[in-house]
Formats: sequence, C-alpha cells, structure tokens
Amino acid sequence: MKSKYNFLLIDDSEFDLFVYSSIIKKNHLAESLHMFRSAKEALIYLREEKDSLPPTVVLLDLQMSGMNGFEFMEHFSLLPDPLKKKIRLFMLSSTIDQSDIDRVDADPYILELLSKPLEIPPLLKAIEKHGRDML
Amino acid sequence: MENQQKIHVLYLDDEAHNLNSFRAYFRRKYDIITTLSPAEAEEILEKQDIHIILADQRMPGITGVEFFEKIRQLYPDPMRILITGYTDINAAIDAINKGEVFRFIGKPWDHDHVENTIGQAYEIYRTRADLRLRNLELQKAYEELDKFVYSASHDLRAPLMSVLGLVNLALMDEDVASQNQYLELIRLSVKKLDTFIINIIDYYKNARGTVKVEEIHFGPLIEEIRGTIAYLPEYQRLNVETRIGQTAPFRSDLMKLRLLFNNLITNALKFQDRGKDLSYLRIFIDIDAQQARIRFEDNGIGIEPENLDKIFSMFYTVGAQNSGSGIGLYIVNEAVKKLGGSINVSSIPGEGSIFELVIPTVNHEVHEV
Repeated sequence: MKSKYNFLLIDDSEFDLFVYSSIIKKNHLAESLHMFRSAKEALIYLREEKDSLPPTVVLLDLQMSGMNGFEFMEHFSLLPDPLKKKIRLFMLSSTIDQSDIDRVDADPYILELLSKPLEIPPLLKAIEKHGRDML
Repeated sequence: MENQQKIHVLYLDDEAHNLNSFRAYFRRKYDIITTLSPAEAEEILEKQDIHIILADQRMPGITGVEFFEKIRQLYPDPMRILITGYTDINAAIDAINKGEVFRFIGKPWDHDHVENTIGQAYEIYRTRADLRLRNLELQKAYEELDKFVYSASHDLRAPLMSVLGLVNLALMDEDVASQNQYLELIRLSVKKLDTFIINIIDYYKNARGTVKVEEIHFGPLIEEIRGTIAYLPEYQRLNVETRIGQTAPFRSDLMKLRLLFNNLITNALKFQDRGKDLSYLRIFIDIDAQQARIRFEDNGIGIEPENLDKIFSMFYTVGAQNSGSGIGLYIVNEAVKKLGGSINVSSIPGEGSIFELVIPTVNHEVHEV
C-alpha cells in the first residue's frame, strides 16, 4: 500500500507553509514537497512541469494577496486535461463564510475544503476518498 | 445649508403674462426659470437642477398632464404641480390619482396658496433627497459591514489557526530547540492578530469619533510614533528624516493625525526594499496659515500602477511579502476625509512611493457627529 505522496502547497503565509510542510514531513507523508508563496508562481510551475509532473496533491489556500484561491482555480481550469488528471486539489482555508463554502462545492476541480489548521487524519481521509490509487 | 438654498422653480405656460406676473411676485423668494415652450422646458430640465415644475394644463399641442407624463421617466425627482382652470379640474384630479402630479393650483391663483403649495412640494422633495442620501450611506455602511465580517472571519481566525497548527506541530516534537522556535512563531502570529485588532478599533474610533481640535506640533508627534516602533527589528535599517517648515500655528485633530502618521510610517517600515543597502523615509511638512502639506517619500518596494487606485479600499493587500491586514491605508484615507484634506499617491515599482497630503488647518472649534 502506497502511503507517500507528492505535495504542492500554495499559501501566501510563509508561516503556514512552514507549519504544514513540517507536519507533513513529520508524518512521513511526503515523497516530494513543493511550496509556493503565490498562486501565480504555482501556476507557472504547473505549466512548466506539465508532462513531468508526478501525480500530485495540491493544498491551496483561499485568502491570498495578489491572486487568491478562486482566481487560481479560474486559471487552473484552463490547464490541459492530462495535467489536471494528475492532480488532486484540496482547498485549505480557515474560512467559515458560507458563500466561500458554496463556491468550493460548486467548483468541479476542488475536491474538498479542508479547514485550517491542517490535520493529518482528515487529509488522509480526503486523499483516500478521492482516488488514492491514482496518486 | 440645504435649508438656506433657494428653491429652483421651472414654470411652463403658453401665456407670457402668467409667467411674468409669477416671476414679478416670487422672484425674490425662488430661483425662477420660465418658458413658453415644452421643448425648451425639457432642455432646461436636462441642464439644471430643478426642484419644482409648474405647468399650465391648457397649452397648444400638449397638455400639462401630458407634459408631465412625458418627462416623468427621465426626471422623476422634481415635484410636479399643475396649473388649471375650473373646466379642467377633473383631468387634474385624475392626474393626481395616477401620481402624475403632486397638486394642482386653480386659476386664477392666489399668492398664498401658490406659496404654500410650493413650500409643501419642496418639503417632500427635500425629504426624498435626504432619504436617498441616507440610503446611499446605509448601503455603504452595509457593504463595509459585510466586508468586515468576511475579513474578520479571515484576519481574526487565520492567525489563530496558524497558532493552533504550530501547537499541533509542537506536540509532535520532543526537541526543545524546535519548541522554542515554535514559541517564537506563535509570538509573531499573536502580535499580528493584535495589530489587526488595534487597527480595527482605530478605524471605528476614527469613523464614529468626534473631531477634537488642538494645536499640532508635528516634530514631537513623529518622535512619539518613532518611539513606539523603535523596538522592531525592521526599524534598524530604516532611516527616517524629517524636515518641517512652519510659518503659522497648525490646528487639527491630533488623534486622527497620529493615526495617519502611524500608518504611513509603519507602511514605509513594512514595505522596505531589502535589495537596497539602506531604506529611507523622508517626511517633508510645510505649514502655512491655511494648511499643512505633508509628503512621505520612501525607497521601498513601490506599488504597481494597476494597484494604485485600489490601495485605499478596505481589506485590499498588495504583494505576498510581508502583507498587511489591508486596512491601514483605508484608515488613512478615511481620516484624511474627516480632516477635510486630500491624499495622493505616486509610485514606481522597485524605486519607491510618494504619498502627498494636504490637510487644512482648523481655525474654529468643530463639533462633528
């Protein structure tokens, strides 16, 4: 049974990136781990990697300065299908705003909203539910 | 203000002597424009701010009621009063019932009746205008409240969730050195949250507070603010220069000015360009009998042109580096407005920003609600 994943974390808070990457590493879940402090940089990375990108779990923050999580999703939806198929994307946010939650539900590419702070059991459960075998 | 303003009356009648006698009698009381032609009346409505329209019912080509029907869509605000002889009273009553006109004045009219009717019409006109204004203000307040609640759910919760994440992480770690690192990060997060809360309180003090006028001494004010941030590590590499030229005493609201200086100085601190050997903030203040011109010049990271017009809106933040809560410049802008001044910003990304403020001096006590 495979239990390590390739992670891509997008959060404008260096602080949160540090915390979540540490938690993931401490639980020995990471095959690889990439972090981006802006959604724009993450998009550039995804476009560049395209074919060489391994199956990846993306944890995307919502409230970011510059391009926020939903704006990122608009660009994400335009990425080529084979690339998107390799990605399991979860939104990681402290939001409790109903319109945010509705928007997450309506987005075909956001599999689930995980609440901050990141905890391992819900993360694993979410990965399991949304096609662990494909990662 | 509005009460002192003369009532603007437009009178349309095909008989010149009616217009003339109206004008002769009421010219001191109202601002009167008269016309014989319905087409010209429409032109006047387009160009001028009219409060009350009087129109004669019997005109060649168009009746008064028809004229009102025609202009109502485009100019719903002015109050419409019909002038009519006895034979047309039924048409007038019908028009009132349909809401086409406010009242009718029977011919021949007596002055007191006309004056009363116009007075009542204007009363309603003003009440409606006030109501529209209040509605706009309310709408703005609601929008801000929405933004506030949304932002509160983020800016108040996010640092807390960060702390919680760190606590979870610390619980997994036995190592004392790492524990101390986590504690330091928790401290930073708590500070950030505290700053946000203080900002929110400042904002509401500024928004609801009264204006208290006193003589302002800019030198000591800036020193005081520098004292409160001197402990910050970023402060050590920021060189603050102040130049003040003053030819007359300056009077204004100290609390709002403190808020303003505090935010602008803190911004220069936060948005330093680390690529430059030394960061500077130059504050130039020129005070004369009318106003203070204040200029903040820094060599920080600057602001992208497309963001310049957004920086004063609530909860807007620029750049991932050391992002703020997005309320600082909003507070500055609101404070400047309350002080009756203006603020301008110009910036070149990578070179720095210049904030220029003009704040009028207050020569009398102001009591504002």
